[in-house]
Amino acid sequence: MINVKTNNELKCNIALADLYNVDDPEIGLNVVDLGLIYELNFDEETNMLTCTMTLTTEFCPMGESITDNVRQSLQQTCGDYNINVNLIFEPPWSMEMISEEGRTFLGR
Amino acid sequence: MFPGFSNSSIAKTTSYKVVLPFYLYAAFSFIAATILLFVSSNSFLSHFFEPKVLAVTHAVALGWGTMIILGASHQLVPVLIEGELYSNKLAYTSFVLSAIGIPLLIYGFYVFDMGSPAKWGGRFVVLSILAYLINVAISIKKSKKENIHAVFVFTAVIWLFITVSLGLALVYNFTYTFIPHDSVHYLPLHAHIGIIGWFLLLVIGVGSRLIPMFLISKYKNTKILWAIYILINVALLSFILIFYFLPITLSFIPNILLLASIVLFIFYCFAAYKQRIRKQVDEQVKLSLLSTLLMAIPIILLFIIIAVFVKKDAINYHETIAYGFVIFFGWITAIILGMTFKTMPFIVWNKNYHKRSSMGKTPNPKDLFSNIVFKWMAVAYLLGFAIFLIGLLIPNSLLLKPGAALLLIAAVLYNWNVFKMLYHKPKKND
Repeated sequence: MINVKTNNELKCNIALADLYNVDDPEIGLNVVDLGLIYELNFDEETNMLTCTMTLTTEFCPMGESITDNVRQSLQQTCGDYNINVNLIFEPPWSMEMISEEGRTFLGR
Repeated sequence: MFPGFSNSSIAKTTSYKVVLPFYLYAAFSFIAATILLFVSSNSFLSHFFEPKVLAVTHAVALGWGTMIILGASHQLVPVLIEGELYSNKLAYTSFVLSAIGIPLLIYGFYVFDMGSPAKWGGRFVVLSILAYLINVAISIKKSKKENIHAVFVFTAVIWLFITVSLGLALVYNFTYTFIPHDSVHYLPLHAHIGIIGWFLLLVIGVGSRLIPMFLISKYKNTKILWAIYILINVALLSFILIFYFLPITLSFIPNILLLASIVLFIFYCFAAYKQRIRKQVDEQVKLSLLSTLLMAIPIILLFIIIAVFVKKDAINYHETIAYGFVIFFGWITAIILGMTFKTMPFIVWNKNYHKRSSMGKTPNPKDLFSNIVFKWMAVAYLLGFAIFLIGLLIPNSLLLKPGAALLLIAAVLYNWNVFKMLYHKPKKND
């Protein structure tokens, strides 16, 4: 089950649909099933969409690429908002954050 | 909202333009080294201080091992120190100086002319490593955080600088004698500072971060890594002390310390493997894990060499050459063969697909090279390594040529995949 916090279910689902196309290139699994997306917050007053996300490791050499791709994806689906990608490592990413589909993909 | 860091905590990747020339040069050097090994294989049944053996050793140690590690570490230093590489210009300088210096040095050894070619080669290599040392030192100083992996890398680069400086001094010592003994006397010192101080420290420092990362493992154990770091450095310092002031038979003491450090690293890798999230381990990581086990073989051979020396008061040259062969064509080559196809695909992927998510699904980095060619390369390599090693140990010259031929085939297949990645272009629908 995907557990992404949001304050706007409808827009969140639209955004997530495209984020399924953004993979962690090493694992070959998308960032949504991998559980890297923690929250999509739509602030109507400031017209800001803040995506709070993490990486599988703080030292991921592909980190820049993954966050850039997430930003691009959100710009495509939610282009009327200013996009802010907030990368955090607390709480740390863990196995429990992976969806059922993701676990099947990883052979778990 | 979650609390947290901003995007500034992301490791800034070094440009592929800096890194790929090192990979390409190393790939050519691997072919050159295996050709030299093939044409001069019988020289490997004589003394280790033989011009062709020295040429092959330096082709592998500098052209192959050091060049690819320099390339990979320019890419990985930002990841290890959580900052940026200080200067791309220093990285290019380091590449150009080594690219000119290494063939001159190898030529000098091959024809055994310790005049201008070897001296200029040595000078260029020393300057290249100095440029690299400055680049790494300033990058670490500018980075926000210190960590054990960066300490491993920085110490390894200092040992590398000592190794190449001593090497240059030994080249000079052939024509202007300025140290107490002849250059052959100092060869074990030069070789072991390079093998232990540079290769072992660097491979463990970088591998301890990359192996858990590629296994998608959350395993961390800084205490073990500090213990390994101390064991390796104490082993090397005690070897230098023994070399200068004590009977060389006491070398078993640093050897025991090294064995302990390798056992700890094997334990570290095994713990990371057990806690991996991805169940299936790819061939590249398997070969890298195998190289970790291969680290133990030279240690065992060194115990045998010391035991024979204590008993007969003489060095067995076959075992000594086998010892060097296992280090350079075994452990170091195995880890490079595995890790090239874990690191280079990312560099090429970043070059081609960094900003292409808007164009839909992109190929994964592992799709950029042929896994079948990789498997055949691994088979040719393992067979060639085993046959050549048996030929050295029996000793039997008939086994050396086929062993070297298989290693040459492995080098050709390696180059095939490296060029496949290098010339990868995204398809229009990627």
